[in-house]
Amino acid sequence: MLSTVLAAARVARADLKVIYTPMTWTFGWLGRILAQVIFFAVIGVLLEDPDALVYLFVGQAVMVAVVEVFMSLASTTWERGAGTLPLLIAAPGPLWPVFFGRSLQWIPSGVATSCVALFALGPILGIFWEPGLALLAVPVLLVTVVSMYAMALALAAVVLRAPRWRNVTSNIAHILVMLLCGVTVPAPIWPHWIQMVGQLIPLTHGLEIIRGLQASYLGWDLGTAAVLLVGTGLLWALGAAAAFTLFGEAGRRDGSISFAD
Amino acid sequence: MSARAPEPASDRPLDPESPVAEPKSPIPGAGERIRALLFVVVASFCLQLRQMRGNADWMMPLITTPLLTIVFVTIFLHAGRLELVSYAVLAPAMMAMWSTSLMSAGELISSERENGSLEGLIAAPAPFGLVLFGRIAAVTTLSLAGFAEAWVTGSLLIGEPVPIAQPWHFSAAVLVTVLAMTCWAGVMSSLFVLARSARIFQNSLSYPFFVLGGVLVPVSMLPVWVEVPSRLVFLSWSSDLLRDSMAPVAVDDLLLRLGTITLLGLIGLGLSLFLLDRTLKRVRTTGRLTHA
Repeated sequence: MLSTVLAAARVARADLKVIYTPMTWTFGWLGRILAQVIFFAVIGVLLEDPDALVYLFVGQAVMVAVVEVFMSLASTTWERGAGTLPLLIAAPGPLWPVFFGRSLQWIPSGVATSCVALFALGPILGIFWEPGLALLAVPVLLVTVVSMYAMALALAAVVLRAPRWRNVTSNIAHILVMLLCGVTVPAPIWPHWIQMVGQLIPLTHGLEIIRGLQASYLGWDLGTAAVLLVGTGLLWALGAAAAFTLFGEAGRRDGSISFAD
Repeated sequence: MSARAPEPASDRPLDPESPVAEPKSPIPGAGERIRALLFVVVASFCLQLRQMRGNADWMMPLITTPLLTIVFVTIFLHAGRLELVSYAVLAPAMMAMWSTSLMSAGELISSERENGSLEGLIAAPAPFGLVLFGRIAAVTTLSLAGFAEAWVTGSLLIGEPVPIAQPWHFSAAVLVTVLAMTCWAGVMSSLFVLARSARIFQNSLSYPFFVLGGVLVPVSMLPVWVEVPSRLVFLSWSSDLLRDSMAPVAVDDLLLRLGTITLLGLIGLGLSLFLLDRTLKRVRTTGRLTHA
């Protein structure tokens, strides 16, 4: 299975190289991402509230990586567009490892853009880190992004049935994530049941840890958040694997593999 | 094919009520030419509306506008700054307008290129620029729905209608903004013809312009080195004027500001026509239209 994921990851890498050159990634994509972080951070200037600036900055700097891994919804459906989906389903191996590797390109790209925002743009805006805690924040960010990748894959397995909704679903999903996970406003402003939904999303816990580290806080509750981060990430990964398997089986039964939408 | 020469005027009946029709010149007159060009624009406008029907991607900025409005309004409500709700309502509408224009500029080229019809469109006798403008105008006009969506969402969230103190000023500002947006989308489309993947630029030109255009935070609140280039972007003038039109205070220099937005739009129009001309000459010479 690992070899399948690695083989699919080679396709992912090739895709990334087709989409971006180092120049277009740096000045196009990274520039756009940093502008998004600045756009939200300067709301703090409008509010004349330095704490709001920090809150919005950290939230968006992590969120941008999520935006990127949610592009997995689109890249998963590319197999359908390329006509390779029936072959993947007909192949003897399970379907889910293919899709787990197929969109991996967004993870390093997302983590890199997020790191540049947090640790290079942050100090320019007056938001500093203790070096040791910044080093600790990087693996937390990685786990958060990987967990959100699992969530994106679960959604992608659903969107495979209606590929033309891939971009809309991805955009709606990431804005909802932004609302529910404490990216722009603290989650407690929402009714209890909405907060419960937010607790099922790994970003809520990852962001809590990163905010804590940025504020030089190292409490036991961050340990709890780390457990919840990994736990919810694993749940989404299991959900994604199950959804891809179900998709393949249902497609075989009703012959809809190439003719959905 | 032989062209019939027009009959000499002296042979024509002098009675103006004579039913004898004047022979038609093979060279179209100015009026006929203008009518033909207008037909191209209207046909392109209608074609675009038909193509957008049932294509969720074209509508994406309009679909996400209510959600973005919730994002911005909740930020201001949480901060206890109810007086800034008009900013939160305006920003997603402006973002929807910019995004749909940008998307149309990019998608038009990308989809025609993928479809293999870009060469045909450029080779056709109808000027490609007009086809482009007609189609972009359709998208930009439709994006006005974003203003209504954002206003309704914002009003529902605060439990009362978001006030627009000077609706006529607001409408005039929206109108010139739509015109300027259409012209600048043309500039982007011209550049996208040359790009390998227009979607990269399409993705990249959103938030930088939301910052420079001051769609949420007025550029006057940003450092001077950001504010100065921002004043070259028509969005910054539009955002300021629209915000001022919503406030219950008289709008200063209304005509001057409307004129500035129009002027910046016209500069965009001139630039897009120039770029399109140069771009088409180049791709025709290099033969790299499909594989730019």
